[in-house]
Amino acid sequence: MTSSDATSGGTGGGGTAGGAPRRRTVLGGAAGAAAGLALAGCGAGPDGGAPKERKKGQRISLTFWSWVPGIDKPVDLWNRRNPEVQVRVEKVSAVNGQQYAKMHAAIKAGNPPDLGQIEFPVIPGFLLDNGLRDLAPLGAARHRDKFVGWQWQQSVFGKGVYAIPQASGPMGLFVRKDLFDRWEVQVPGTWDEYEAAAKAIRRHGAWIDTFAPTNGNRFAGLAWQAGAAWYATRGDTWIVHLDDGPTRKVADYWESLVRQRLVKTIPDRQNAWYKDIQTGAIPAWVGASWGDALLAGNAPGTKGKWRAAALPQWRPGGRAYANWGGSTTAVFAQAAYPRDALDFAVWLNTDPQSLALLIAGGYGFPAARTGYAPAALDADKDFFGGQAYSRVFADAGAHVDTRWRWGPGVDTLYQRLGDAFTEALADGSSFRSVLRKVQGQTVADLKGKGLKVESGG
Amino acid sequence: MSRDTPVRPPTPAAAPPEPGARRAAAGRRRRASRTEARNARAAAGFLLPFLALFGLCFLAPIGYALRTSLQRTERTGPLGLGGQEHEVFAGLANYAQALADDRFLAGFGRVLLFGAVQIPLMTLLATGLALLLESAAARGITFFRSAFFLPYGVPGVIASILWGFLYVPGISPLVKIAQSVGWNVDFLSRGSVLWSLANIVTWQFTGYTMLVLIAQLKAVPGELYEAARIDGANAWQVARHIKLPMIRPALVLTCVFSIIGTLQLFAEPMVLRPLSSAIDSGYTPNLHAYSEAFVGNNQQLAAAEAVLLALVACAASFGFLRLVGGHGKERG
Amino acid sequence: MTRPPLRHRIITNALLAVAALYFLVPVYWLIVSATKNSADLFGTFGFWFSRHPHPLRYLTEVLTYDHGVYARWFANSLLYAGIGAVCATLMSAAAGYALAKFPFRGRETIFNVVLAGVLIPGTALALPLYFLFSAMGLANTYWAVLIPSTVSPFGVYLCRIYAAAAVPDSLLEAARIDGAGEARIFGGLGLRLMTPALVTVFLFQFVHIWNNYFLPLVMLSDSDLYPVQLGLTSWTGYADRQPVLYQYTVGGALLSVLPLMVLMTVLQRYWRTGLTEGSVKS
Repeated sequence: MTSSDATSGGTGGGGTAGGAPRRRTVLGGAAGAAAGLALAGCGAGPDGGAPKERKKGQRISLTFWSWVPGIDKPVDLWNRRNPEVQVRVEKVSAVNGQQYAKMHAAIKAGNPPDLGQIEFPVIPGFLLDNGLRDLAPLGAARHRDKFVGWQWQQSVFGKGVYAIPQASGPMGLFVRKDLFDRWEVQVPGTWDEYEAAAKAIRRHGAWIDTFAPTNGNRFAGLAWQAGAAWYATRGDTWIVHLDDGPTRKVADYWESLVRQRLVKTIPDRQNAWYKDIQTGAIPAWVGASWGDALLAGNAPGTKGKWRAAALPQWRPGGRAYANWGGSTTAVFAQAAYPRDALDFAVWLNTDPQSLALLIAGGYGFPAARTGYAPAALDADKDFFGGQAYSRVFADAGAHVDTRWRWGPGVDTLYQRLGDAFTEALADGSSFRSVLRKVQGQTVADLKGKGLKVESGG
Repeated sequence: MSRDTPVRPPTPAAAPPEPGARRAAAGRRRRASRTEARNARAAAGFLLPFLALFGLCFLAPIGYALRTSLQRTERTGPLGLGGQEHEVFAGLANYAQALADDRFLAGFGRVLLFGAVQIPLMTLLATGLALLLESAAARGITFFRSAFFLPYGVPGVIASILWGFLYVPGISPLVKIAQSVGWNVDFLSRGSVLWSLANIVTWQFTGYTMLVLIAQLKAVPGELYEAARIDGANAWQVARHIKLPMIRPALVLTCVFSIIGTLQLFAEPMVLRPLSSAIDSGYTPNLHAYSEAFVGNNQQLAAAEAVLLALVACAASFGFLRLVGGHGKERG
Repeated sequence: MTRPPLRHRIITNALLAVAALYFLVPVYWLIVSATKNSADLFGTFGFWFSRHPHPLRYLTEVLTYDHGVYARWFANSLLYAGIGAVCATLMSAAAGYALAKFPFRGRETIFNVVLAGVLIPGTALALPLYFLFSAMGLANTYWAVLIPSTVSPFGVYLCRIYAAAAVPDSLLEAARIDGAGEARIFGGLGLRLMTPALVTVFLFQFVHIWNNYFLPLVMLSDSDLYPVQLGLTSWTGYADRQPVLYQYTVGGALLSVLPLMVLMTVLQRYWRTGLTEGSVKS
């Protein structure tokens, strides 16, 4: 059920075209409304049909789907402070992206929650379903300056604002400083140096990293850093350009490392990888800011030996960075009280006390500009030998290439990439052929979704 | 994967009892039709609760899936965002797309290979264990029977997580032991992972199959054994000529349900997928359909794939029954 | 009966022991691993204890983590499997009894349609079922898992062949002549004669529901309603950020498996004797 006091009986069709989407009719019984049969227009139509307003003093309850452990702490705080707008967290299983499948199904079934935790890349997929409420008519723009620019932009499509950013994952390089020192390997500043380091490390029987074929997220981040633009729009047409110059450069580079047997090809962030991280068999990791908790928690025995460094650059002295992960708090289109949901979403991601709880929970870099002490981000300082490592990621976050856009169907794209890389590793076909293949598949997938799409090139 | 293999009651009547009314003389026909009507009324009363829920939980979703499989989505609006969504009739386009997908077809090849190896192996193992446990030479029968049957109480997802730990190099004590004797084994490589999955399924369901067979063996009258032994038959001959023919119907049925279960293989590859670079999102047909529906949000294609999967399961089960002479089809 | 020769006995029991090793080793691993923390889980030899085994502490942590949500999942599992299996057994018994004992037109068609239900993968039915239950306002409630759990085509199949074999028509006729109603005959006579099959159906359905993962995954969003399996796998989904959850997953798996294993071990005896008794009767 969306709200405890509103029973969603069924959904009408979508709205008409235009910058602002949807006009949905939800059979909703508002608390206090006679017999709960008021037919409520529950979405901002193109001309701004009014969303439902909470009457002063009326108590409502909002449902919030999330999967992050500990999210209930800031929510509890909100509930104590806002007795009239109670938020109820439902923790949905996030194995293999199942949480999004559930959200899509719930949208289709007409009973999504009011709020949901949604990562940047999948936002366009929800827009295809008319699943998210455009927050712009509710005055979301006035909150814009509270957030890091590029993160805010991740959920802006046309004139619409579809989510409030929560956290990002600026990428960086984690290294076992002790092993690098002992083996006299320099922490690489460029990708050329990274390859040299890989060779040196290999001579000591270890591997600098793994190229996990199924990790589309990281590959996207590396392409992002190199200046790729997988998705673009022209008029009402999506342009898919996975097989572009920068991405080829990245693919060639990792293919060469794989073929020279300088990197492993096991899945990352899985049992075998954790083991290698613990033993030093893999003494480095191209990861992201949220990796601190992951390393500290899974390899406690290596405490004090890790350091964070900037992501290696393609150009010496360059400052091109990218993002891996990052999520938002979105309001679903069928939410009965979008204004209150928006208030909660903004509070959750800007209130200093909420931010402190989020940071303590290890959520990654806040999307908020202020309201937290940067030092609080160094939660695992001891694990990194006293290094104020969050500065590395803060700097990366400030230089993330802001032109990158996500398109619909990113989950499928990752899956296709994973399948194709898996195959390429097995049969020895080139990584470029992977890009060609997935490019073609993605164009076909988007066509299959009924979209106008062109292959970039 | 769930396998609800039926246990046949030991010796069911081979055919439903002929309704007495049918045999009745012409003069009693009116009474017969009254009986039939009364039968129908009574049967309806008993059947109604089940059929109502069966309709709700099986027929309605199947109908829905069939309809979905014949549709596709059209979208309007700039970039498809915020526009309208229509479901339009697509004929067999989704079926054509599924059948043109190499990976989907490869998944079928994979589960068929899996079944061709795993089902006979497991059946053989279960039969062997059942015969050993029922032989006079066995000791500690209760312990062994419990030990063999115990994995059936471990859910597929948990069993896969558990075996996952036993497969991953660097963590697995099995790999460590193998390496210490110079055997460099990789359970998760492209060549071996299918058999690692087969092992999980075998581990889970052998004891269960065995118990079904034992139940059937217990039904063999003891005098039959005695008579055979007096005739000078040894243990092997008793097993071969008396016990095996007795459990044949149970074997046929466990096989049929294994075939269906194998074609629907899902939980094991899904859980092992993050651990192995060799399992892709379409490793088995069921996983492929699941990925289309739950990751690609393409329920129409997924529905078509599920229908195809059901058709293949149907063809395979009936093909098998025909192959073994239809013995398992007898009904009470 | 003569004792089999020594050689036979040695070979037989050696083979049985090897098989037992195969089936028990993973369970042994699970028990050993439940005494380890996440670091030791990955870092120490899997078939032996770490230097600081903490069986009770870690299992207690499993039970108390997140306000004791594990205990709640466990209770949910018992509820779904217990009530679901009882209802499924009763309805299967009635349907199987009707199909066996009341000849009527369309009987075989109904039976075949019910059997065909087994051929459709559950993964394909889950989403349509979700849409259906959503329309009825039942999604994300106990009913969403309970109602589908009460339907067992296999149970109907088993009850039909069993009733046909174990419930004699003559007995039914005699009861009818005595003036007993059909419902009373079924309740008093049919159910009693079918008891061994009912025990079997109950056990299978109980295990089936207990092990079911997909239906609750699709139907439920509120983790307070989760059964154990779904809850445990949801933990593995967060373990990236909270590595302690690896250890909880292993401990939780052991706790979830133990009662079922005990149940299986205890009940398999009744189960077997039940079926054997049925064979004696027919």
